[in-house]
This record gives sequence, C-alpha cells and structure tokens, in this order.
Amino acid sequence: MGLIKETNAQYYSGQTVVGPTTNTNIFSFKLAETTSTNGFNTELVSAYGLPLLGTGKYTRVSETSNFTIHNLTTNTIVPEDEAIVSNVSTNEVTIVTAVAAGDFVLCQLKENAIDANNGSYSYVSLNDIIDNFMVAYTGQDQILTSVKRSQVLFHAKRSIQEFSYDTFPVIKSQELTVPPSLSVPIPQDYVNYVRIAWVDGNGILHTINPQYGLSANPTELPVQDSDGIPTQSSFGNNINAEQSLTEKRWANANDANITGNYDPFENQGVYDYIWWKQAYGQRYGLIPEVSNVNGWFSINDRTGSISLSSDLAGRLIIVKYISDGLGYDKDMKIPKMAEEAMYMSMMYNIIASRRDIDPGSKAFYKREKYVKTRNAKIRLQNLKLDEIVQVFRGQSKWIKH
Amino acid sequence: MAINVNTVYTTVLSILNKEQRGYITPYEFNQLATQVQLEIFESYFENLNQQLKVGENASEYANRVKLLQEKIARFEVEENIAVATSEANLSTLTDTLHRLGTIHFNNLSYLPVEIQQVTKHEFNLNRRSKLTAPSLDWPIYYKEGNKIIIEPAETSTVAQGKYTVEYVRKPKDVVWNYTLGGVGQYLHSTAAPNQNFEIDDTDQTEVILKILMYSGVVIRDQEIIQAASGAAARQDQLQSS
Repeated sequence: MGLIKETNAQYYSGQTVVGPTTNTNIFSFKLAETTSTNGFNTELVSAYGLPLLGTGKYTRVSETSNFTIHNLTTNTIVPEDEAIVSNVSTNEVTIVTAVAAGDFVLCQLKENAIDANNGSYSYVSLNDIIDNFMVAYTGQDQILTSVKRSQVLFHAKRSIQEFSYDTFPVIKSQELTVPPSLSVPIPQDYVNYVRIAWVDGNGILHTINPQYGLSANPTELPVQDSDGIPTQSSFGNNINAEQSLTEKRWANANDANITGNYDPFENQGVYDYIWWKQAYGQRYGLIPEVSNVNGWFSINDRTGSISLSSDLAGRLIIVKYISDGLGYDKDMKIPKMAEEAMYMSMMYNIIASRRDIDPGSKAFYKREKYVKTRNAKIRLQNLKLDEIVQVFRGQSKWIKH
Repeated sequence: MAINVNTVYTTVLSILNKEQRGYITPYEFNQLATQVQLEIFESYFENLNQQLKVGENASEYANRVKLLQEKIARFEVEENIAVATSEANLSTLTDTLHRLGTIHFNNLSYLPVEIQQVTKHEFNLNRRSKLTAPSLDWPIYYKEGNKIIIEPAETSTVAQGKYTVEYVRKPKDVVWNYTLGGVGQYLHSTAAPNQNFEIDDTDQTEVILKILMYSGVVIRDQEIIQAASGAAARQDQLQSS
C-alpha cells in the first residue's frame, strides 16, 4: 500500500464529503493516521467545545477552528460555534442541529490548515523514525539486541538537535518592526541567529552586522557605593540598576561618528567632497565592518532581547534564526532526504556508549554516520545543475560588486 | 494439543505395576502431575534462552526457537487492565499472571503504543530528562509488587480499558477426576474438575518419565528412580544439544 492516504481533493482543496448520512449530527471525516482507507493528514481543531450552552451554542475554548462544515444538500454552512470535534483520533465532528438523513456533508479545511499540510510528504515524523528504528535495527540477531526505547528516544531527539544546527534546512524567520526602545525579544525557540537584516522599500534585505565589540550588553548592573563596592539589599543580594549606562549611551550614539558617514562638507568624513570619486571607500584607517550604513545589533543576554543601533529605529527587520527542532510538535519532523542519516546517527550514538559492542562495529557505524550525514548535507544543499551553470556564467563578467 | 491426563495416568500405572512394584493414588498422581507440568513449563523459558544464544535454523519443523515459542504461546493472554481511579495511577495485575510481557496504551483510535518497563530508579531518571520525559506517545511504567505505576497516568473513567496487558499465565493444576466403581475401583471421569495437562503434547514422554521418577520416590523404589531419571536426562540432553 502506498504511503499517501489523502485523496487529491483532501490534499489540494482540503475537502472531504460524507454521505448520504445516516447519523445526522455526528460525522467522521477520518484521520489518515488511524484509518486503513483515505483520510485527512490534518487533525481537525475546533475553537469550541463542551459544554453546550443554553443558547444552543458550544463554549469557546480556543482562538479559531481549522475547518468549516457545509451541508451540500441544502447549501448551508454550519456556524462554527455549533460544531465541535468529539473524537480527535477519528476527526469526528458533532453538530448541534442535525441535518436530514441522506444529506451530504462537506468538511472544508481553512486556508492556513491546507497550507500547513502542503509539502508534508517530504518529511517523516519523529514517532515514525523511532518506530522504524525499533523495528529494523533492534531485536534478536541484530547488533542492538536489547535497547531501551527511552534511549532510542533520547538519541533521536539529540540527532534532530544536531542536524537542526547544520544539516536540516530549517531556518526560521520573524518579520519585526524596531520599536523606539531599540530592542526586540529573542524568538521563543531561538538557538542562534543566521542573519539579521533590515528591509528597504523594495523588500530587499540589507545585512545588519553584529557590534564587533563596539559596545556591550553587561550581564549584571551592580549599584556601587562611593568606594566602588557593590551594595546589597536587606536580603543580602546585590542591588542591580534598572538600566545599563553603556546601553543608554549606545542607543543615543550618532552612528555617523562611527561609520564616518559625515556630511560631504565635513572633511573628516569618508564621503568628503574633496576625496569624492578619487579614493571612494579607500580612506586610510577605514574599517569595512563598521563603516556601513546598515547599523548594528547585539544579543542582550541580560534582557533576552536583540538590541539594535539607533539608526534602525522604526525600520522593518527580518530575524533569521535556527532552532533545535524540538520546540514544537510540528517541528519534530525530519526531511526524508536525511532519514538514513538519522538512523545511522542514532545507531552510532547508541552503540558508542555500549560495552557489549565490539570496537570494529563501532568504527563501522561511526563511518556510516559520517557518510550518511555528508550525503544528507549534499542532498539538502539543493544544488541543481541549471542553477550552478547560471552562477558560473558570472565568471566572464568583469565587474563584480 | 494438550496431553490427556488419563493417558498419562494409565501409562504411569502400567509401568509402576509391572512385577507388582507399587501404586500411586489419584490424589498423589494429581500432585505429581501438577509439579511435573510446572517443572517442564518453567524449563521452556530457560531452554528458549539457551536456544536464542545458539541461533536459529531455517527448518520448518525442527527450529527449536520456533517450537519453544509455540509452546509458550498457548499460555499467552491479552486482557484489559483497569486503572484504579481511587489510587491515582496504580493498577493491580491479575493473580494468574506468571510472567509479565508487554503493556499497551490504547489512546483513542490511534495505534496502541507500548509502555516501556523501567525500574523505579530509571523511572525517576526518565522523568527528569526533558528529552526522555514520558508522554502519551512514549509512556513508561514500573512494577511494585503486583501493581504497576504508569506515567503519564490516564486515570479518568475514559481510561478504563485503555491499557492492555500481555502476559504468560500459569498452567492450570492437573486433575485426574474419578468416580468409584461397583467394587470400589477408581473410574476416570471427564467431568469437572477433570483437567488435562496444558503443556504441549510433544512433552508427553517427558511428563511420564518425570512422574515415574517422582513416583519411585513415593513408593521407595530406587530402580524406578534410576531408570526414569536416566531416561529423562537423556531426553533433556537430546533436546538441548
């Protein structure tokens, strides 16, 4: 049997129809995971739940439903507050007002639910990876005769973390506007940044550089007495200041004093008109990483935020970052192109810590892990011949920016 | 197929009675038969352990691992266990349980997930690690007496019957039931509580030899003991070599 259980209508249009109905107020739209026939990949989520109120409406329990119910026979829509998911594993929906027996009922996924499911076939879930591993690599006459599932779970999650850092193409991003405070909170599942850039009027990104030690975000702000000794509260703890003076000065700094981006008529600036077009960008002492107009950012560990320089206030920025793949359930998925690398990584990490495995096998699986991971990286780099050819054509162009 | 208790009893008596050596009563036979059945039943697990170390052959009828697994399979039971809501997540296992196999958690209509058995020590360690913390997808349990403690616990009334336990039960006690004949003789009766041997019929010879060996002790006949234990030992050796 093929791995795809959704019909074309379920995948492309997010629609499934039941009918002619015999049970007139409970409909099962089936979940692919729990049926041997066709079913949705998407679990139905209702914004409403029990109890049923006196008004004939269900109680609001969350922000939004991801589906709507339509009676195709009467061409009517069931109001969202009159439908609940009564069994999540079978995608069973119960409605308040029964339809007539024999009617056809349609479940329509909302656009964001359809979008979330699109492309899902290129991934395999963490649960599937662990189940497959237990079936194929453990048991009688296998290298791993007896292994605890919690160990497999641990190494599977660790492998996801490691792969998220440098193998999987899972770069997340947030679009933010820099407030007057010049700092935005670090994303909830942030592990490290990939690129922070501001967006110009054409939607083009301009990379914001890190501070390179120009300023700092102190992790502690002890209040000192006149002798310079930190002062303590009545509970014996150091008293900390509310705001860092360094950060305050940095926020008020005139960036032109650092970049050299003075008025053209000030002769100490890099754009001085005397030098214009003679030594543009070649001034003695120019530091390229700080002499640009894109501003600076720093990761402020004390406040858990990304601090930006004053010239970026009010600008639109994009924060691209990596997570570890374990933050949310929906993140715990592995690109199929890296599936074998996952198995070999789990295999080696498990046997590396076992004493009943001979050194030869350990060396073999260490090599296997390396080879499969390298293969996965090459595959996931997404190198296509036509694209490389196009890039190589640039070698005959004389002027490069 | 099970071993007929009457066949075994009559065979034992016919061997014992040769040259008027002695006789064992139905009561004594039932005791010895139950003892021997348990002994052979218990040896299945030890033999399986030995055979797994040797490695299997591909034969259809002479694969020892397969044969032993089939012998054990007839005692395997699967049944639902209830979670005692009054005792949080404590659940009491049945008394007939001999060896605990797998416990499954059946979450709604999803495929059942195996609950991993851990020791109390590992139970605490697993809970502390964020990567291995038990969830409805990956639950764990440990055993305390004949109770099991599951994490995460599903103690609601909905959870009753959500847990399925697979175990090997003990064989039932062997009973050669009888009625008294006209001259006071024992006549075999298949009515309750008559109970045949439940172990596999391929073990019939071993059952008879072992009962004979114990019968020799009962009737104090060294010759019977030596002959029966010699034959039983030869058979054991054949089966395990």
